[in-house]
Amino acid sequence: MKGGFRQSMAWLHTWSGLLVGWVLFAVFLTGTVSYFRAEISFWMRPELHAARVAPDAAENVLRRMHALAPSSSSWIINLPSERDPLARVFWRDPSAGGNRFRRAILDPATGEDLPARETLGGDFFYTFHYQFHHMPVLWGRWIISVCAMFMLVAILSGIVTHRRIFADFFTFRPRKGQRSWLDGHAVTAVLALPYHLMITYTGIVTLMLMTMPWGVQVAFKGDNQAFSATVFGLERPSPRSGQAAPLAPVMPMLDAASRHWGGAQPGRITVNNPGDVTSTVQVFRVDDDRLSVNRQVVSFNGVTGAMVSASGGNRPAAETRGVMVGLHRGVFGGGAMRALFFLSGLMGTVMVATGIILWAVKQRQKLGARAGAGTRLVEVLNVAAIGGLPIAMTSYLWANRLLPVEMAQRSAWEVHVFFIAWGIAAMHPLLRTHRRAWVEQLGLGAALLLLLPALNAVTTHSHLGITLPAGQWALAGLDLLALGFGAALAFAAWHVGQPVAEKRHARHPARQVNPVPAE
Amino acid sequence: MTIHLSPHRAGRNAGIGSRSVAAILGGYGLASLAAMSLALLPGPPAEAVLWGMMASYAVMAAAVMWCFAAGSALRAWTGLLIPALPLVAWLWINVGGGA
Amino acid sequence: MLPLGFVSAFAGFAALCLAMERHHGDALGTRRIPARRALVLRVAGWLLLALSLPLCASGWGWGMGVVAWCGTLSAAALPLVLLLSYAPRLITWLALALPPLAGLSLALRTP
Repeated sequence: MKGGFRQSMAWLHTWSGLLVGWVLFAVFLTGTVSYFRAEISFWMRPELHAARVAPDAAENVLRRMHALAPSSSSWIINLPSERDPLARVFWRDPSAGGNRFRRAILDPATGEDLPARETLGGDFFYTFHYQFHHMPVLWGRWIISVCAMFMLVAILSGIVTHRRIFADFFTFRPRKGQRSWLDGHAVTAVLALPYHLMITYTGIVTLMLMTMPWGVQVAFKGDNQAFSATVFGLERPSPRSGQAAPLAPVMPMLDAASRHWGGAQPGRITVNNPGDVTSTVQVFRVDDDRLSVNRQVVSFNGVTGAMVSASGGNRPAAETRGVMVGLHRGVFGGGAMRALFFLSGLMGTVMVATGIILWAVKQRQKLGARAGAGTRLVEVLNVAAIGGLPIAMTSYLWANRLLPVEMAQRSAWEVHVFFIAWGIAAMHPLLRTHRRAWVEQLGLGAALLLLLPALNAVTTHSHLGITLPAGQWALAGLDLLALGFGAALAFAAWHVGQPVAEKRHARHPARQVNPVPAE
Repeated sequence: MTIHLSPHRAGRNAGIGSRSVAAILGGYGLASLAAMSLALLPGPPAEAVLWGMMASYAVMAAAVMWCFAAGSALRAWTGLLIPALPLVAWLWINVGGGA
Repeated sequence: MLPLGFVSAFAGFAALCLAMERHHGDALGTRRIPARRALVLRVAGWLLLALSLPLCASGWGWGMGVVAWCGTLSAAALPLVLLLSYAPRLITWLALALPPLAGLSLALRTP
């Protein structure tokens, strides 16, 4: 392009970021809250809040599984942990030919089913951030992969474009209009730059088996199963023999597995062909005590209880992939690490938001009233995404508390509320002036968030008055974060709503640029 | 950074269109060639395949940036073809043209 | 330890930014920095940033420690940027007071 390398990269940065900016914003925000996916899921099922971790959970749960699914070909049991003190179990449904899974949440202390309201919980935000909803799964994943590639290009071209990375490292000049948006964009981009590069690249890599399958075509002649078996070590269990044999006690197996890992804890158990002579038990190590997500498994004979095999170390490429996916998920390292990931994720969200706002502000600044439909479209989409998504996400939490517990299709209706709220928020800026649209949406989002702890107090027994003194931080944290974000949105609404007239009378002869220009 | 009104607007837009096609399709093609070529490197095949997959997106990002940094749309395409040729040759030798 | 790693990174970034004329002016009232002070600030800043890595690794181990260090650097620079905009005079005091406070709290907690 004309004007040299840096200018062409600036052009590329602007357009690769703007074209997919709204998708990226939604992916960043829903992805960032997904660091607290387990906590959100827990918060959304108040019926389970009394559950406590029990040391003999595995035995209690397995006893229950014999009654729940005696003839299933496999059980999957996620053991309770500090973060999620419940046993989540799945099993292949024999009546559906073994191809469909059924699920239950069990009390680790008794093994009994815990009836909880039907909800997707935090999993909704989590799956939304890589495949959307109400859309074929593969479409969603492809769209998001392509947008992530745009993001990678936008980051790289942005680095090249940003001349004064070190000189402006600490620079944020508030209340200077366009200048402030640029500063805000650059500061959130630069301060968390390693995170932005990491999260984007590893996000693409997470879906690489779908977007870049060509290597399997040439090296494995397109045999995906052979490739997966080599990389992930998936073995198909043998079919049931029909000859009954009781399952050996599982606690010694857990101990043996834990010894094999040098003391690390088991996190999941799968039992194949339970109650049959062919039964096998696989014990998986918890996945939050190391960077890589590659599983570490010890397999046992289900009848004798003898250790049969243990997964060895991974080769370098498989381990690299495991670490990349692990870095993306960010489940390791405990609460402080999660808080750091969350903060960086928020900075990424703000980076995207300020980027797309900056484009609209620049257009208004340059063209004023001559700005055309394109600028208006960007402005409407900005409000719909940045103002609307927090409203939709908080409405989802409100629906969780307000929809009747026994309602049919309850979890689907929570999701409907999310999309209805977002749909209205997307229409609303078409009917209002740009400034009013911002103030109203930010204000509504702030009100919904600030009132969420109050709603929680009215509808449940695990509100701040109880969770704070009890030190139940997983539950209290969500209420507190809602208050924090509510305050931030309220500040933003107030800031945008500052009367324009005052600024017109400012002493400076040069026209002051407002953060969001009036029509 | 926006497209200015100018007598060269039509030509410029055609150039941007051509570069965009080069960046998206050409870039993906080059990344795929790189992924396949790396997949055939000696060593355990699954490892080679994984290295190829993981590296291919860096190739694509570089290709996209090249397409918009190059002096002209023609140069953008040429710059993709030059690294593509040895990769195709390497694949041809290892897989045999038909496969 | 997160607090020590964080505090060290914060103090390090504060020193580096005080070594820059514009920020020196915001925080201390004058843009003129004596050459010696600028050098000391720069060296101390980089050292403190580097020190924050082993501090993070001591709590998490090296693999996770490096990840935590990257996050800690981002998390420590953010409040500094906000302070520079809204309360620049506080920076010097915080940078001087926080490391001994964090060290003291750690010493009191470990018997």
